Amino acid sequence: MRRAMPARISATRLVVIGGAMALGLIGSPAWSADVEYGRHLSAECATCHGASKSDSTIPDIHGLGEAHFVEVLRAYRAKALPNPVMQSIAVRLGDEEISALAAYFATAKKPK
Amino acid sequence: MTDITRRHFGFMAGASLTALGLPILSAPSLAQGKPRVVIIGGGPGGATAARYIAKESNGAIDVTLIEPQKTFTTCFFSNLYVGGFRDYKSLTHNYDKVKKGGVKVVHAMAASIDRDKKQVTLAGGGKVPYDRLLVAPGIDLKFDSVPGYSEKAAEIMPHAWKPGAQTQLLVKKLNALKDGDQIVMIAPPNPYRCPPGPYERVSMFAHVLKKKGHKKSRIVILDPKPAFSKQGVFTEGWEKHYPGMIEWQDPKIHGGIKGVDVKTGEVKTDFTNYKPALVNVIPAQHAGKIARDAGLTNQSGFCPIDAASMKSTVDPNIFVVGDASIAGDMPKSAFSANSQAKVAAMVIRSELTQSRAFPARYSNTCWSLIAPDDDIKVGASYEPVDGVIKASNSFVSQRNESADLRKQNYKESVDWYNGISADIFG
Repeated sequence: MRRAMPARISATRLVVIGGAMALGLIGSPAWSADVEYGRHLSAECATCHGASKSDSTIPDIHGLGEAHFVEVLRAYRAKALPNPVMQSIAVRLGDEEISALAAYFATAKKPK
Repeated sequence: MTDITRRHFGFMAGASLTALGLPILSAPSLAQGKPRVVIIGGGPGGATAARYIAKESNGAIDVTLIEPQKTFTTCFFSNLYVGGFRDYKSLTHNYDKVKKGGVKVVHAMAASIDRDKKQVTLAGGGKVPYDRLLVAPGIDLKFDSVPGYSEKAAEIMPHAWKPGAQTQLLVKKLNALKDGDQIVMIAPPNPYRCPPGPYERVSMFAHVLKKKGHKKSRIVILDPKPAFSKQGVFTEGWEKHYPGMIEWQDPKIHGGIKGVDVKTGEVKTDFTNYKPALVNVIPAQHAGKIARDAGLTNQSGFCPIDAASMKSTVDPNIFVVGDASIAGDMPKSAFSANSQAKVAAMVIRSELTQSRAFPARYSNTCWSLIAPDDDIKVGASYEPVDGVIKASNSFVSQRNESADLRKQNYKESVDWYNGISADIFG
């Protein structure tokens, strides 16, 4: 079951993601996500996402809804969202890795 | 993971302190208590590894970071200080949060590594034993790679390739230039710290001169290399923002860099002699002295490592990350060092506490500012392939990109600086 889209997603992204979904690029997140694996993988994200503020170009991804996280990462992987840094990161993430990251970040707190 | 580590290593080893206040344990044996990880170098590689090992092991590993300086000024973004976009203080970080994260920080110089006894000797004579050692000393400059150049000569002709007083000296000399003056940069041969760095620095030189209203000042880059990082977009940016100001010469043009004369202020090439008002010499580089002295380097002057773990191929108890390592396709950058440190930290924890190990994956992006709001980037993902770290999914800024995109790149780089600084230093 897909969760409701969080309010913070932009209209532009909705259109892009909607297109990606129509192309069959986006599916439901896996149920048995490996949170420990996600925590390990999250170290790569921490390089850029660990000190985000509300006006950052690099968004805060801690506490992000799982479904939203999965959709955005898959859209980057499909190059349906721009930014080559995120595309390069996402292209080598399989569905298992994306689900694991989503499960971890859903409850992760931004480092103080 | 944490259950396993707590179950196996719940026992706290009693540490004694010497008169120097340095941690000394009786014998390096895992059976006697917590395993000990010692890290040499508190930069992007060393401090990241220290924090991640301490954090992820939940106190099951005793982590000691040896770093002589009480504050660390980042080399990355120091060009933005040269260009007047950052103040010096904004590049300087302390180790308060590293300590709060459970890392023992010893502010001393690591003098030598005794690989047989598995201990580090400090400059003051203290001994720090280890079960695993992570070496992240960065680079040393090979001053004599440019004839006539020396550490002393750097007071006249700064390199500013290590952060600190040298960068401040370079800025002082840059700001004193008058219209019509000439700058000569001697660029380094590969491999060296921060591949786009010299060219971003030249961009910052030009920005400062342009802002001061200089019409006649010129910058000459004497390069021992036939090409350089992000060359196409740098060249395009120079023509756009600083037409006629910057001249890049490869070996076919200058014919060979013969050396410098600090007494006369001259720079000599096979083709001509220059007498510029400012000379910036960036010499060839090799791994920091302690890595070379410990026999961790090969004939290249850098440290060979196992691509899947960042473990030294010379010693199974030692890991090398950052600029001192031979990391295949990865450039020598803070981003790379930070990325490599996390792989090493994961493998070290796995070896010492049987925590889960995962396949190594690395990443890097380098941003470079050409002019205000005109920022370019290059990056890739990396993985071990047949024993070598190989790039995949690489990208680089293109010519004729929109001003909006370049401005977005700059904002992204500033946000990245905040992110990686927090990741390294807390």
